[in-house]
Amino acid sequence: MNARPIERVVIAGGGIVAWSAAAALKRKLPRLAVTVLASEPPADALAERIPATLPSILGFHADLGLRDEDTIVRARSALRLGTEFVAWNHGLAPYVHAYAPHGRPLGTTSFHLHWVRLARDGAPPPFDAFSPAAALARAGRLAPPGAEPEGLEHGLVLDLPLHSAMMRAYALHLGATARETGLADVRLRADGFVGSLRLDDGSELGGDLFVDATGPAALLRSRLDPAFEDWSPWLPCDRVLLGESPAQPEPPLLDRAEALPAGWRWRSGGVERTAHGLAYASGALSDEAAARLLAEGGARAAGAPVALRQGRRPRPWLRNCVAIGDAAVAVEPLEWTGLHLAHSAIDRLVAMMPDRDCAAVELAEYNRQSEAEANRVRDFLALHYLASARPEPFWRDAAAARPPASLAHTLSLFRERGRLPFHEEETFSRDSWLAVLLGQGVIPRRVDPLALSVPREEAVRRIEDLGASLAAAGPGLATHGEYLTHLTRQVRR
Amino acid sequence: MSDEARVNVIIVGGGTAGWMTAAALARLLPRRCAVHLVESEAIGIVGVGEATLPHLRAFNERLGIDEAEFMAATRATFKLGIEFRNWGRVGDSYIHPFGTFGRGQGEVDFHHYWVRMRQEGHAVADLQAYSMGVALARLDRFQPPDGDPRSIASTYGYAYQFDATLFAPYLRRLAEGWGARRTEGRIVEVERDGASGDIRAVVLESGERIEGDLFVDCSGFVSLLLGRTLGEPFEDWSHWLPCDRAVAMPCRTETPLSPYTSAIAMDAGWRWRIPLQHRTGNGYVYASRFISDEEARAALVAAVEGEPLAEPRLLRFTAGRRRRSWVGNCIAVGLASGFLEPLESTSIYLVQAAITGLVELFPERRISAVERDEFNRLIDLEYGRIRDFLILHYHATSRDDSPFWDYVRTMAVPETLSEKIELFRRRGRVVKYREGVFLDASWIAVYVGQGILPRGFDPRAATPPSEAVLRGMAALGEEIAASARAMPGHAAHVAGYCPMAPAA
Ligand SMILES: Cc1cc2nc3c(=O)[nH]c(=O)nc-3n(C[C@H](O)[C@H](O)[C@H](O)COP(=O)(O)OP(=O)(O)OC[C@H]3O[C@@H](n4cnc5c(N)ncnc54)[C@H](O)[C@@H]3O)c2cc1C
Repeated sequence: MNARPIERVVIAGGGIVAWSAAAALKRKLPRLAVTVLASEPPADALAERIPATLPSILGFHADLGLRDEDTIVRARSALRLGTEFVAWNHGLAPYVHAYAPHGRPLGTTSFHLHWVRLARDGAPPPFDAFSPAAALARAGRLAPPGAEPEGLEHGLVLDLPLHSAMMRAYALHLGATARETGLADVRLRADGFVGSLRLDDGSELGGDLFVDATGPAALLRSRLDPAFEDWSPWLPCDRVLLGESPAQPEPPLLDRAEALPAGWRWRSGGVERTAHGLAYASGALSDEAAARLLAEGGARAAGAPVALRQGRRPRPWLRNCVAIGDAAVAVEPLEWTGLHLAHSAIDRLVAMMPDRDCAAVELAEYNRQSEAEANRVRDFLALHYLASARPEPFWRDAAAARPPASLAHTLSLFRERGRLPFHEEETFSRDSWLAVLLGQGVIPRRVDPLALSVPREEAVRRIEDLGASLAAAGPGLATHGEYLTHLTRQVRR
Repeated sequence: MSDEARVNVIIVGGGTAGWMTAAALARLLPRRCAVHLVESEAIGIVGVGEATLPHLRAFNERLGIDEAEFMAATRATFKLGIEFRNWGRVGDSYIHPFGTFGRGQGEVDFHHYWVRMRQEGHAVADLQAYSMGVALARLDRFQPPDGDPRSIASTYGYAYQFDATLFAPYLRRLAEGWGARRTEGRIVEVERDGASGDIRAVVLESGERIEGDLFVDCSGFVSLLLGRTLGEPFEDWSHWLPCDRAVAMPCRTETPLSPYTSAIAMDAGWRWRIPLQHRTGNGYVYASRFISDEEARAALVAAVEGEPLAEPRLLRFTAGRRRRSWVGNCIAVGLASGFLEPLESTSIYLVQAAITGLVELFPERRISAVERDEFNRLIDLEYGRIRDFLILHYHATSRDDSPFWDYVRTMAVPETLSEKIELFRRRGRVVKYREGVFLDASWIAVYVGQGILPRGFDPRAATPPSEAVLRGMAALGEEIAASARAMPGHAAHVAGYCPMAPAA
């Protein structure tokens, strides 16, 4: 039996994903020798290039022993409470997807079921009007730590170069080592495992486990098998153009994601700059037209458009090689899942570290979890397209696509009666699903019977009261800029 | 509005499943449905099923049932877990507690450290010594858990042990108070719609015809509607779970009132022992392929630890389930949907899961397929996970002292289970669910309790120095023992909190 523990880990890739993996491995499994084969991340590694992140990043940092003063103050991050979606449904006002509950349950039934009841034969205020987080975000205010509305979480808008440098410094501080030459070749052993990497300087780099964080090309992992699951039937954008503009004095707490005739355009406010981008389908929009649209949004392009092939490797971990980040799952920036998926893969890798033989049964469990997680992210992103309502062919085709089975089930159950099926490994909470479904105008056909056990007048009254109390939120609280200044002062002290 | 017309729900059967369903629907959906239950006193109820899981507390709470009143009415006791005797080997005994090992809060599960210390050759106590639930159970003590998650007394949960013949009548009183109707009589015919195949009405021996929109089949093993009438196929799992009979016999309680159920392995199955306030329930669950009814009965009579209070009673069953639980306008709940032996007290839990699903997915008169599919998906998940967990108990053994144990020890198990076992054996890893009846600690309890010890451990557990781990473990063991000793006896707590009414 080969139960020798893994001792040497080689991580290929020199961006945030690779350095985060190195830091996590050294922090949690300090006995490992971790070498990062560092090179500039490729332009199409979107997890490295999108500054907006989900709230999970805070937990990831805390787990690594990083503090707000490192990750927010010194690395110049801004905060974000959610995203404002504009024009995804032509007939409806913009909606906010914030990371927090909507309303409060009435009796034992979820708030949204009561909202649906009013929406079926009236016009209650929009669903996001019942999200305290959305109200704060629109008002551009932040509650002091500890006094946030219940369940509110925020993400960060990173300063990517600073963040990458911080992770690198931290990983090196924890004892990881860096090799700065390029990768020339991957040498496989007779049993199909990766034996070593041959480097541009002629040397060989051996290891027990190889982590591939080289972006979509998956320079290591793709050598073991080329299998790829294509998500383009549901996620029609195949190009991304990134851009930037100067920072705003008070960076907005909401990113903006605006649907355009053949794709969508975004903006995320950071401390040092505002990030912009456009995701589009090359068949429906030329690169020149895309550049014009980006410029109209007030940005100058940062580099050429990058081709994007959305999908995942069915088995991110095979033998002694595991793909993480864009090498495992490539998705457009919609809902900012790229870095989240990379962090989640790193956590899973740490928690499931096998022996040197990389037993198939252990890898199968890793891959099963990865698959379930990725598929539900795919479903959530695909939802934005399937539930869109715009007249252009791009959108009509997207809305007419046949959803993957798990999303079809979610949609039909929700359309019938406003329930959401439970799934393991779900990234987005029920409230996130609701924000998008109801925000894009998917109204259930009927009212859930449990909601009917609350008398109608009572439901109306309680919903109105709640709406009124939230509308008053904001004034008196700190602006984003004041909040960050306050954090900075605390650190200096 | 026709949409909001009440659905006429006919519940067939008045056992635990029937009255739990009636009570829940009448209480939670009073405007949506009219509940009408039909039961036959002549046929009667199965009348066993006395040990439950902690989930039942949530069911009672949702219905607003007062715990002390319910416990007094059903002569109930508290249950901290299940003691398994003679399973891995003759002479072994371990408790599967409703709770954690260690504090259950660290990033790495406690048992990884425990495995590491053992492998390093340190003399550490049995894993059982690091569970608060086990410690309390072994001392026959009980006190409700502490709500403060920092307290060691927050690391266990509890369920109930009650008199199965009193639970349904107790719920009946509540359900009728909430508006459920009841008709006594034997159903002799079931009418179906020629076009859709849906059930239209049931006809009683008296000639009375009862129509409905939705039929809940709680008829017990006969599965009158789902099985007999609609012909939904039965998936037979008896090659993995070969026990197919039970002989049951209550006795006077002559031992201290233990706050746990016992499952004692026997030559051709196992025996339960469930202490209630007024008596102890006993039964021998066995495989008729390996032992005769007479031998089983004699073995039970010889083993009970008190004066018998009734003649031994024989029950027959087959492990398995109807492929789907919800077909057309018929939903089976309870034994009518399937049966898994009571080794881990899962039957009433499955009843509850089906009721929760029904309440959450309650249909209109015209039922939509998506609700049915979601319901069946949920029930599939529940049955699958419980099935594997039960099979584990038989398979994880070194017993070779009878043909029964030879069979279960060497039988092929479902791949879903052999993979789980292999993951644990390699590195103590438990497949994690966020949802499901049995979470990590349950699997760990049974693996370790039945001799499946990991060869490796989570490498993160290798980081802290051995002395620090040993010190922490010793302190934890002492804290557990001390706080268990400071708690009141189970019998005393029951007597103060929920004493049954004196016998009339
Ligand atoms: C040996 C054994 C031990 C068990 N131990 C446990 C345990 O410890 N924990 C646990 O959770 N579960 C246990 N169970 C399972 C538990 O007993 C059942 O899940 C529970 O009692 C529910 O039964 P039921 O209501 O589905 O069926 P039953 O109690 O059989 O009720 C069936 C009902 O249908 C009626 N009926 C049937 N046919 C007709 C007809 N033609 N006309 C009118 N009415 C009709 C009957 O009169 C009766 O009212 C055990 C089961 C067995 C066999």
